[in-house]
Amino acid sequence: MTAPVGAPEDARQEVSTIKNEIRLRLDGVNCSLRCRDADDWKKLEKIERLYHCFITQESADITVELVGTNRLSPEALNAALAGNTFVHEKNIFRSTSQVVDGEYDLTRAYIKITGERNLINPDVECNHLNMLLSLAYYTACKIKYNDRPPAMIIHSCGIMRSGQALLFMGPSDAGKTTIARLCGKKDGEVINDEMLLVSRPGQDGKGFAVESGPFLGKFPSKRSLKAPLHSIFLLKKGRKTGIHRVDRSEAYLKFMRQIITPAYIGQKDKRAVLSLMSEFSDEITRSVPVYELEFNLDGRSLWRTLGELDK
Amino acid sequence: MIIGNRMVQADNIIWRRIGDDVVIIKDDGLATHVLNKTAAYIWELCDGKRGIDDITASLCERYDVSPEEARADIMETIVNLTKAGVIKYI
Repeated sequence: MTAPVGAPEDARQEVSTIKNEIRLRLDGVNCSLRCRDADDWKKLEKIERLYHCFITQESADITVELVGTNRLSPEALNAALAGNTFVHEKNIFRSTSQVVDGEYDLTRAYIKITGERNLINPDVECNHLNMLLSLAYYTACKIKYNDRPPAMIIHSCGIMRSGQALLFMGPSDAGKTTIARLCGKKDGEVINDEMLLVSRPGQDGKGFAVESGPFLGKFPSKRSLKAPLHSIFLLKKGRKTGIHRVDRSEAYLKFMRQIITPAYIGQKDKRAVLSLMSEFSDEITRSVPVYELEFNLDGRSLWRTLGELDK
Repeated sequence: MIIGNRMVQADNIIWRRIGDDVVIIKDDGLATHVLNKTAAYIWELCDGKRGIDDITASLCERYDVSPEEARADIMETIVNLTKAGVIKYI
């Protein structure tokens, strides 16, 4: 069992006086990660160094307090996480693998998580940092934007090319990281090869935009940047490299599958979550061209093929 | 099991019109169904108020097909949608 929720009266308004805290900016949301234990702080310091371009001093929209345990090796933790699910009861949650539990108070924008320290260790493969930040982001959006996130977190590789963003998506092993690896300076700039924020058109009349965020990957974001979304590519390994436009229904379904589920902590209404994903996928695939990119892992033919799109 | 003559869309789904198609997703997020133009039209008429005869009449009016052809299309679509668990009889 975890200790009772001990959130400050209003975590959103509190000015940072705690040393063991970092605040990360994800699109329009500021997430505070806090801890009290020195060993947990060592992990947060690593995260701070890694995500230095997303550090903010602005007031937090959500506070996540982390309490580390150190019972399992990374291998044992990995094994424990296989098939793990979460059980919620009132404002308390626990994992069936018993490696993480916690509690939350949405009225105070506060989540407390007690879990294995390696879950927030960026140096181990089985860390859950991306999942933690996604959860914090969507929970903050529930509070700050009335459950309508201005941006969705998308599992994809983003490349900025001629001032515009190209998104490459597909299941694991589809070639996202390979594309990032093949991206030389003259080809473009890798935004991130794992996860990105894609925001809806704003009141300025501009279209969908891709934004880097503090997400781990083989090629994590090195700087904070935002660019208008030019095209989406669904990756398919093949013998040659070529592209063709996909029909709307296929584009809609395949894009939707790459949205990181926009569920806030304690969210139980699966239909509401699916509706958010469906609406976003419909909007984006209606206004941004979606192609299937058959890709033979050859960089030269890849950039040549993409270059032909601009003509 | 057929209980009545009117069809209604299941509660555990979301659906959306995408161009001419209708895409149905069950709330487990896993099962998806893409309906073509005609099936999409029939789907939208499964509102719990209309029976087979009403849907047949609508389809004949919309697509200029005979009642026999329309009824055959409707029955095939209804059977498939029922098997998929996305509509039910009431």
